[in-house]
Amino acid sequence: MSETSLPDELSEPLEKAIRLEYWNIFWTLTVIVVMGLVLGQSQTMKTAWIEDTLGLVPPVMFLIAAHLERSASRSHRFPFAFERVNGLGFFVAAVALTAVGALLLYNALVALASAEHATVGSIVILGQDIWLGWLMVAAQLYSVIPPFFIGRKELPLAEELNDKLLHTDALMNKANWLTGAAGLAGVIGLGLGWWWADALAAAIISVDVINDGFKALRSSTAELVDGFPRALSSAALSDDAEQVRQKLLAEFPGAAIRLRETGRLIRAEVHDTHAPQSCRHPRHYWPGHKERAWRLAQVSFIPPVKARDEGA
Amino acid sequence: MAYDQKLIPLKPKALSPNGKGNEDNGASIMRRLPILLCIALSACNALPRDPADTSARIESTRYFTVGSVDPSARDAPETARLLRQIEQRTGARPLWTEGSGETLLGQLDAGTLDLAIGRFAKTSPWQAEVAFGPALSVSGKEGERIELKTAMRNGENRWIMTVERASRAISTEARAQ
Repeated sequence: MSETSLPDELSEPLEKAIRLEYWNIFWTLTVIVVMGLVLGQSQTMKTAWIEDTLGLVPPVMFLIAAHLERSASRSHRFPFAFERVNGLGFFVAAVALTAVGALLLYNALVALASAEHATVGSIVILGQDIWLGWLMVAAQLYSVIPPFFIGRKELPLAEELNDKLLHTDALMNKANWLTGAAGLAGVIGLGLGWWWADALAAAIISVDVINDGFKALRSSTAELVDGFPRALSSAALSDDAEQVRQKLLAEFPGAAIRLRETGRLIRAEVHDTHAPQSCRHPRHYWPGHKERAWRLAQVSFIPPVKARDEGA
Repeated sequence: MAYDQKLIPLKPKALSPNGKGNEDNGASIMRRLPILLCIALSACNALPRDPADTSARIESTRYFTVGSVDPSARDAPETARLLRQIEQRTGARPLWTEGSGETLLGQLDAGTLDLAIGRFAKTSPWQAEVAFGPALSVSGKEGERIELKTAMRNGENRWIMTVERASRAISTEARAQ
């Protein structure tokens, strides 16, 4: 383990992920500008634009967390360095997603209930009057392209780094075509004279945002309250951690094994057991492939305590 | 109107024994490209439509109702030019309706009036209730500018586009926006 909280073998993939996230931010900004230029009164476009803007939260949080993980050393004030800052970033992104998703859903439902008719007029381009809806369709199509490619590149890196923040971002990006398709349907429906299509598409997109946010919120909260390590892509328990628990149980029968996750690292406590005589690196207890052994950062032993000592 | 255009299905051809299937498909698509472009362009023309069919009604009844939010707006030369322009584009004549400003804008919202013309502040409180067209002329000092402009029912996008086009055709002020 280095002076920072980042395992040495993760330096290179983290470097790659940081470069990718800078590109992600750049392309997301171009999408935000393009969509912002043709927003109009369409609820679908406003919702998709806000979703795209929210898409900046995970990469920005990832970059902040990565910067602290790579450069901030352990200190008297922060003896564990900043290995949990990634989890904090994950939580912030999850809260932002869920809250804004709920707000967007409320707006869409109000628009549906009050039968709001969205006005999408025309603009002049090169001397031609063009319905703004066609530009919205073009912007929606463009907004699908960068996230699709970035999401595909992020996934393997997220798995290698066991980074939930990056993984959530990758899934959001990959699923962005759904938002794009709903957005296209909304604008074209509006063009066909179906006033409700716009608000309905906005509602579908916001449900997708809430779904992303809620999954991330469950997983990030579990980490913050020292829950059992969770899987990378869902709130289910992590298979890796379960195997660690089984291996520790096999070596120390009768012991109480408690596992928790701090960022990308697993920490284990073996209760009611004396530490083994020989000095063992925590990675010794990793049951799977050795190249993933960095995940197990700590194995602590808590010897049996007599009732009299407990009261003392 | 090209609302009822039927799409011509593009059936994929099986690969021929000489392996030229892909070339044939490519050539076939290229041959059909002009037809596809025509369909796409006619689709461009077909959209947008009006949820309450304002344009279709105006086209069939050959008149549209118009109200003046203030008396001076009815006499403005831009108003006469605009109504003539809309008449040319739709083949429908304007039918003036009497009423006060608020009543007329309420009628727009209810769908019983097609067009209102008046002088409005740039940030009118009616902005969310009705769809304003581009300003036909502007008067007053900077910061207190009053615009002579049209108002239509929200969401009647084809009708709104017709009025916007007519506005740009008769007013340099409207073209500049």
